[in-house]
Amino acid sequence: MTGGIGESVRRPDGPAKVRGEFVYAGDLTADDVLVGVTVRSPHPHARITRIDTTAARATDGVHAVLTADDVPGDPWFGLTMRDEPVLAGDVVRYAGEPVVALAAVDAATARRAARAVVVEYEVLPAVTDPEVALTAPPLHPQAHPEGNVYRHVAYTCGDPDARGVVTVENTYRIGMQDPAFLAPEAGMATPLPGGGVLLEVATQWLHSDQQQVARALGLPPEQVEVRLAGVGGAFGGREDVTLHTHACLLALATGRPVRVEYTREESFLGHRQRHPGTIWLRHSADADGTIVAVEGRVLLDGGAYASTSPVVITNTVTLLQGPYRVPNGRFEGSSVRTHNPSCGAMRGFGVPQAAFAHEAQLDALAAALGLDPLEVRLRNALRRGDVATFGQTLDAPTPVREVIEGVRDLPLPTGPAKAPGGVGRAAEGGTVRRGVGYAVTIKNLAFSEGHTDESTATVSLRDGHATVHCACAEVGQGFVTVAEQIARTVLGATTVTVTQPDTLIASAGSTSASRQTMASGTAVHRACEVVRDRLLARVARAGDLDPATLSIAGTTVCAAGRPLTEVADAAPGHTVRATEHFAHPDTYPLGSTEGGMYVGFGFSAQRAVVDVDVDLGLVSVVQIASCQDVGTVVNPTQLLGQIEGGIVQGMGLALMEEVVVVDGLITNPHFEGYLIPTIVDAPEVVSTYVTDPEPGMPHGWKGVGEPPLCTAVPAVAAAVRAATGLPLPAVPIKPEHIALGLGSTPTVTWTTPRPAAPSSPGRAVVELDPTDRTGTWDAEGATGA
Amino acid sequence: MADVEFELTVDGTTSAVEAGFSESLLTVLRDRLGVRGPKVGCAHGRCGACAVSVTVPGEDAHVLCACLVPAAIVAGCAVSTIASINGPDGELSDVQEAFLAEGAVQCGICTAGFVTAATELLDTNPDPTREEIEGALYGNLCRCTGYGRIVAAVEAAAAGRREATS
Repeated sequence: MTGGIGESVRRPDGPAKVRGEFVYAGDLTADDVLVGVTVRSPHPHARITRIDTTAARATDGVHAVLTADDVPGDPWFGLTMRDEPVLAGDVVRYAGEPVVALAAVDAATARRAARAVVVEYEVLPAVTDPEVALTAPPLHPQAHPEGNVYRHVAYTCGDPDARGVVTVENTYRIGMQDPAFLAPEAGMATPLPGGGVLLEVATQWLHSDQQQVARALGLPPEQVEVRLAGVGGAFGGREDVTLHTHACLLALATGRPVRVEYTREESFLGHRQRHPGTIWLRHSADADGTIVAVEGRVLLDGGAYASTSPVVITNTVTLLQGPYRVPNGRFEGSSVRTHNPSCGAMRGFGVPQAAFAHEAQLDALAAALGLDPLEVRLRNALRRGDVATFGQTLDAPTPVREVIEGVRDLPLPTGPAKAPGGVGRAAEGGTVRRGVGYAVTIKNLAFSEGHTDESTATVSLRDGHATVHCACAEVGQGFVTVAEQIARTVLGATTVTVTQPDTLIASAGSTSASRQTMASGTAVHRACEVVRDRLLARVARAGDLDPATLSIAGTTVCAAGRPLTEVADAAPGHTVRATEHFAHPDTYPLGSTEGGMYVGFGFSAQRAVVDVDVDLGLVSVVQIASCQDVGTVVNPTQLLGQIEGGIVQGMGLALMEEVVVVDGLITNPHFEGYLIPTIVDAPEVVSTYVTDPEPGMPHGWKGVGEPPLCTAVPAVAAAVRAATGLPLPAVPIKPEHIALGLGSTPTVTWTTPRPAAPSSPGRAVVELDPTDRTGTWDAEGATGA
Repeated sequence: MADVEFELTVDGTTSAVEAGFSESLLTVLRDRLGVRGPKVGCAHGRCGACAVSVTVPGEDAHVLCACLVPAAIVAGCAVSTIASINGPDGELSDVQEAFLAEGAVQCGICTAGFVTAATELLDTNPDPTREEIEGALYGNLCRCTGYGRIVAAVEAAAAGRREATS
């Protein structure tokens, strides 16, 4: 069998990509195509007093100039709350907010016309400190009259006042990270006969786009066909609508195809970032390092509009416990509205923030008690059957101990390493010290808290050629390869085509949350199984055989284990087709007694080795060794690509990547100022796996994309702390933090042990605040199904 | 500024171009000539997605960011994009083949630039050290792979060339 599950099958889109022939969203064009551009607010908070588009409309070659008044349907959109205007009409709430969309014959004309648009503002005070926003009057009373908190979550387990012999506490800060996918947002909208529109766009979630665009256009969803255009990376940053609706409005207004492509600066302004946050944590432990109680408080800056802020906060708060047994705890957190850039999904979805904080705490605890950091982690490691602080029983493999042992025993790198600082290293360096640090994380997989996690696939087979149709967005991760591998293994297909995703089939959900191999892979697997069974039934009828004796091995149909015919010859000219759906078991909101919040979890451990120039504050990450719980290895090369890519993004957050926002304005919306790791910065990666099959999944596969990033952030930080002896409670760790020794040290307090009160309610979750709201996704799947 | 007229040779084909005085080679390639192998990642010379090879008559080829070069400046030069890189009979080149075999391609938006830069490296230095590979490719950003598979691909292609000549 070649090309099946478990092999390093090459990407089917690879040849076109290495030839430069693959068509990305930014490459789309058409006869008579117009170019759309967006006029954006320069202010983080202002009242629009006048919009004058006369001069822009009068510009030769301009075909449409649209404002909020030209939005025919719902003027509000959003992934959770519908709180964001399609085009701002009265008030702008972040710098970069779209106010006018226009289309012209070419880019130069469109930009000239955009400069001719007059928008007058009455600048208003901007609330850019999330602590202030917590109690400030509502910043967006129209959509959110009750205040500025997107969601507040709070719960306790056991007796939060229980104490061991020592407590350590500190406050940690995480900066705003940009997904920084390399192909800026792009798409093309084309009017369809009958009043509808076709949107070809680089996205992660076709059906969510369809729903949101249709609502704004005032059209039924079936009048908006969304088709995936070639995607140049995503990492969560394409989960929200950006240019989608503007392109469609312009196409319908002009009756011509309209393409929109953001500049890099617009990309920084236009899409959602990873939430910056502040996390306070207090751990109490016994003398042997056993955790007695954890208390934590999180504040995430969600920015101007909700996006997924009500969902992200729950991940951060509930996973503050890390992959450790925590019998007693008190956890609380809010995501809050400000006039800063909107934050939403980015790879890790709230967990890198938690992981950075809890792993710093574990090291501080070990240091206070004079214990080995890995011994403390092993002593507290979660095991299968344990109950998490949020009340969910871990009933699937929970190989925390195994991933820790997987990195502990790997040899350390030897020999000289390059000078710290990457491309920016100094000609004359200072004193270089090596440090080694460890981190272990838990990441929830798939959608949570009752948000339906499902997918649908149609598979057809004819003369050995399989065609797979699924709305799963290929964003670079390699789903197209996995779908091929499944069709080869289950069907014995000799060739496979994975068609371009569109909204003609039911929703596959978002390509996010490490979920698509689990959801769409399983839907494809089920459809292949049905096709296989129908094919074998047909062969059985034709040959008067018992279908129960037939099977497919490689590309051959076998009867009682003996070759009968090739799959390609089994039903000449006949097409066998099936459509199958998959949904994970239901999940429930935090605090529910009906069931768990999460579909499942992935665990990961990493050891980082760094060289630090302690005088200049420069860092080189020499090596990261990783051991990850991956269920089963579907494609070794693609798996390694996820691990290495995630690690380097996490390293970026740890050391160099930060969207700097001053008074609501991004000061570095470009790659000159926002540094992502280069090939010189990237460490050697040693990647090992624990393969304990995930129950309920074909072949035991599970999501792998997010844990490497979540773990790399704290691992790199731990290694830099080890090299410098500094507390470094904030990421990214900047040169001045090291060179000037900035950052507060954890507070260590020796305490009189106080066991949990006997009346404490075990590990049951207690909601502290009856006003807590769960985030609600738009029910995008209903229309697609 | 008035448009200027000049001839541009791209992948062996010479075209008459009328473009703005300072219009970038990248814009001329993509928007005026329909050559879309070079990609727009940042348009500021920071990502390398638009890398092309430019040969001044009588000199060696140089890999440049097409977004930084005014197109009129390279009139009379030979511009080679990713479309000019292939093996015998139109097959994939060794570098392209190695990128696929080693898993150096994910979303692929950076790939044409990396293949262009890596090809120039191996054409001038068939046995590069790790440091030399980094020196040749640090102008190209990749957000998906973490670079590990890209280094592996360049090393594999170099090993293949050594075997072929030994």
